[in-house]
Amino acid sequence: MTTSTQTTTLAPVAVRANDRLMAATLAAFLGLGLVFMAGFSPAIAFHNAAHDFRHAQNFPCH
Amino acid sequence: MILRLLSAALAAGFLAAVVATGLQLSLTSPLILEAERYEQREPSRAAEVLPRTLPIVLAHSGHDHAAPDAAPEWQPAPGLQRMAFTGLATLVGGVGYALILGAVLLACGREPTLQTGLAFALAGFASVALAPGLGLPPELPGQEAAPLLARQAWWAMTAVSTAMGLYLIGVRRSLIAILGGLVLIVAPHVVGAPQTPDGASELPAALAAQFAARSLAIGAVFWAMIGLGLGWAWQSFGSAGRRHA
Repeated sequence: MTTSTQTTTLAPVAVRANDRLMAATLAAFLGLGLVFMAGFSPAIAFHNAAHDFRHAQNFPCH
Repeated sequence: MILRLLSAALAAGFLAAVVATGLQLSLTSPLILEAERYEQREPSRAAEVLPRTLPIVLAHSGHDHAAPDAAPEWQPAPGLQRMAFTGLATLVGGVGYALILGAVLLACGREPTLQTGLAFALAGFASVALAPGLGLPPELPGQEAAPLLARQAWWAMTAVSTAMGLYLIGVRRSLIAILGGLVLIVAPHVVGAPQTPDGASELPAALAAQFAARSLAIGAVFWAMIGLGLGWAWQSFGSAGRRHA
């Protein structure tokens, strides 16, 4: 436990911030893509598959 | 950190989807099926060309993208398959929301915990359900509505504007930020949602009202579960990682 705490403290702040920003950016793009697919995609197959979810979660649907 | 965030979002999205799918199938899906009966009864071009033997759970009997001579569009079979796809869509949406929530938490410099997860998730609910719902209430199939693209654009604009406004008020907290945040939250409603054309729908108002209320309640639970799940999973995966390190 002590070793891991020391490692965390010694890690350069800039690297950790960069890591955090990378993770946030990647997750944001991936998340937006998934939400678009479930809630907005105009492809008929996606639309029909997600129909009841779109209505229930208040996405504009047809 | 990327792996931890992806795993936490996956777990949170799954937990929230399990709960929300159960609620949707028991509370909103029956109302959607009932509304589709009314939708089918209304005279429409699509209804005229559909064979009489088709079940009433067609998702899109009255919609304008069905050309009369086009091949039938794929749609899930009624019953179990339709329920399964509703669950799958809820899972995809839940994981998507959880990823965005995690990204926002990290970008704001907050450690995802039960408390921060829930607080930011409630802001997410306000941004994508409550605020767009003020102008575009959750609607059932067969209800009159403005053109889809205009509604989607207003929905997205309102969600982004409200989220930015809540960020300025909740995270920045200076006087200017709070004033700017209030402007951002109010602006989409001053602009106004696309107007619903006047038209006669046979859908009972009580059914539509009940659906809108249930939809918002489910949205609140969905988001709360995403926030709590993300906080819990982030902490769990973090301590597991430290143990194995």
